[in-house]
Amino acid sequence: MEILRQINYKLAKVVGGYTDRILRVDLGTQEIIIQELPPDFKNKYIGGRGYALKLIWDGTTRETRSNSPDNILVMASGPLGNEPGFPGTGKFIVGTISPLTDTFVDSNVGGHFGPLLKLTGFDALAVSGISKEDVVILVDGDAQTISIAAAPIYDKEIDEGALSFGQRLLKDVNGGEYSDCLAAVTAGKGACNARFGIVNSLFFDRRRNRIRSKQAGRGGTGTVMRSKGLRGIVVRSSLSKVNGNNAIDKEGVRKAGSQLKEVVSKSDPEQLHLSAWGTPVLSEYMDKFHLFPINNYQYGQSPESSKLFANVFLDRYFSKKIPDGCYYGCNLACAKGAENVELTRGPKAGQKVGIDGPEYETVGAVCCMGIFDPHFVMEYNWYCDEYGIDTISTGVTIGFFMECFERGLLSADDIGYELTFGNIEAADRLLHEIAIAKGFGKVAGQGVSRGKKWVAEKYAARNGTSEDTAIAELNKFAMEVKGLEFSMYITKESLAQQGGYGFALKGPQHDEAWLIFIDQVHKELPTFGDKANALKWFPLIRTWFNATGLCKLPWIDVRNPEAASTDEPAKNLPTLAHYVNYLNATTGSNKNLQDILDDSERLYILQKLINLRQGKGTRAHDQIPLRALGPAYFNEYESRAEYYDGWLQEQLGDNKVPASPEQRHKLLLEKRIEAYQQLSDIVYEKKGFTSEGIPKRETVEKFALMDEQARQLLDEFGV
Amino acid sequence: MVVSIKFFGMQRVVTKTDGIDMPITERTRVKDVLEYVRHQYPDLNLDEGITLITVNQEIASLDRIIRANDTVSFLPFLSGG
Repeated sequence: MEILRQINYKLAKVVGGYTDRILRVDLGTQEIIIQELPPDFKNKYIGGRGYALKLIWDGTTRETRSNSPDNILVMASGPLGNEPGFPGTGKFIVGTISPLTDTFVDSNVGGHFGPLLKLTGFDALAVSGISKEDVVILVDGDAQTISIAAAPIYDKEIDEGALSFGQRLLKDVNGGEYSDCLAAVTAGKGACNARFGIVNSLFFDRRRNRIRSKQAGRGGTGTVMRSKGLRGIVVRSSLSKVNGNNAIDKEGVRKAGSQLKEVVSKSDPEQLHLSAWGTPVLSEYMDKFHLFPINNYQYGQSPESSKLFANVFLDRYFSKKIPDGCYYGCNLACAKGAENVELTRGPKAGQKVGIDGPEYETVGAVCCMGIFDPHFVMEYNWYCDEYGIDTISTGVTIGFFMECFERGLLSADDIGYELTFGNIEAADRLLHEIAIAKGFGKVAGQGVSRGKKWVAEKYAARNGTSEDTAIAELNKFAMEVKGLEFSMYITKESLAQQGGYGFALKGPQHDEAWLIFIDQVHKELPTFGDKANALKWFPLIRTWFNATGLCKLPWIDVRNPEAASTDEPAKNLPTLAHYVNYLNATTGSNKNLQDILDDSERLYILQKLINLRQGKGTRAHDQIPLRALGPAYFNEYESRAEYYDGWLQEQLGDNKVPASPEQRHKLLLEKRIEAYQQLSDIVYEKKGFTSEGIPKRETVEKFALMDEQARQLLDEFGV
Repeated sequence: MVVSIKFFGMQRVVTKTDGIDMPITERTRVKDVLEYVRHQYPDLNLDEGITLITVNQEIASLDRIIRANDTVSFLPFLSGG
């Protein structure tokens, strides 16, 4: 491997979860800088998402776009990442200015990269600039060197694949052998061609004796990586992972970890049993409650859905006897995988591959295209990972264009073939076209938001209508907000989750709030005020997980039996107490849950300020498509008429429900639009925003974020 | 008169069925259905702290009267990954 630039450095010791250093690499100048952080940096910005937000706020401008040299790609774990004694500590975030939303996005991902990066002596890695040639970065904590090297050229097939390239690279830098002292991130060819490219996180799994992968899937972080000419990053450290955070109170960490592990090991097998079934277990429940996003979120339930339930993947594909944590010590172990799956379609047909997944989101993405074939799910999963594109955005984008075709907004001439729901061959063809930027794939690779404009132009030209008219029609079912495609839940029956998606700062991804069940099924949020409180509390606690290097699932997907006797069982507070104890034991702090929420709120407001600066921060940008509010078309209304009529009756009280179904459908949508606007008013008030969704001065000042940039920005918006 | 009881996820593994019917009277309540299922499947953990009982997809109290052709489900708490 040709080394283009290399520096030696002295390893920083991890103390209380931090190294207090950031590694900064400018690929344009090949400058490598180790930045020492001031003592109050970690207190204010925590880690993970917080560090990424601060670097982006200070280091980019409103003119910065995803492919600008000054855009920064940040990878960071957090103070609580890397502790095998506590479940779910392999997470790190990849944060940047997104090619889909043009504002900050981050995606959290598991694996060994985040923990190993910390062991090499860095709390975060920030990459800026654009390299003239494709490169890889090597951070070797054992040799105490940091290198920028020309990306090795193996052969075309390997070089184009995110998984294949990473597997070869990890062997290449370690004398031809895999080792769990190394981990890598890579981005594939598809990330060059689509706006929704992913970053793959690769690590060696001794039990499966192969390289496994997890994905930072949302928002196009892989697209940014490739636009910088960065093919991969490898980190190496032989330091022990046990007590890798050098906790201030090691016994406290041990105690908190063993208590949480006990909750998980006792309760998960009697609840969702993620440790055996993985997240596809959700498919069955989503279908039962009309939440499965079938045919571009038109219908929530289908007689065919059972073909995609978890038992199918467990029986046919998953290796049943292998614990599958994505990091050491996680007894939730939900990262399921399959071996020797034969591909039957695409350029690798006939090849047998190991597949990591599917996750529920990937299963949902396939039903979004109206497809109920589990083998296609497996192939789709593998190809998306190998190409380096997001299974969610890919599925939603294809589903969107399928609906455009079926509703006559696009023709077979526009696409090159008939793109209909349930048409596996067409969906498969478009998947590969997106990845290699061929034919209609060039359009689809731009995502739903930009695709909408393309369709409007075509339709308007063909029919002599205005593009605005076409856009108005497309806005009914184009499932994106702020430029990001929805994740895999139908929100038509949960106002709280409509807000969960609409107000989400990065766009409609459920990692800020997933309130569907406590709203729709448990009925725990009956008033606008209750919904607004949840829409403040959940994003804050979830932000904290993304700032500390932790997986949320042991908290949110395993209900602690003790929660039943608390006032708000959905918050699972008895389990959160173990997290607070873990934080204090690791860092030596003495915080309570409210302190944690306050810390998170600072990050939340900072992210809101970035959105505002990037043109995505006002009420107008929190609006959601009609289909997210209710049945956009009559066929959707008809499929759940009994439920919708009941809802309308509740809203109207003594007033008479209209006689005709068409009138009821129209009135229902009017009521849904009205309810969302009412919710927006209350949520903004709770969050300390103006009615336009802009943070008030006192809100920004409360969290000590009123720097010159913030002052100018608020002046500009008249706040 | 019967009530339909549906099983999901791990419950299907324990019970080895998608669902069963239970004969009811006009006085049968949700708690009677719960006891019936516990008796039929002692290995199925339906403790209050980890199970949500729904009737016709709506959360139900233990005292709710069951009607003919109702569907009862025992669900884990779902909070979104």
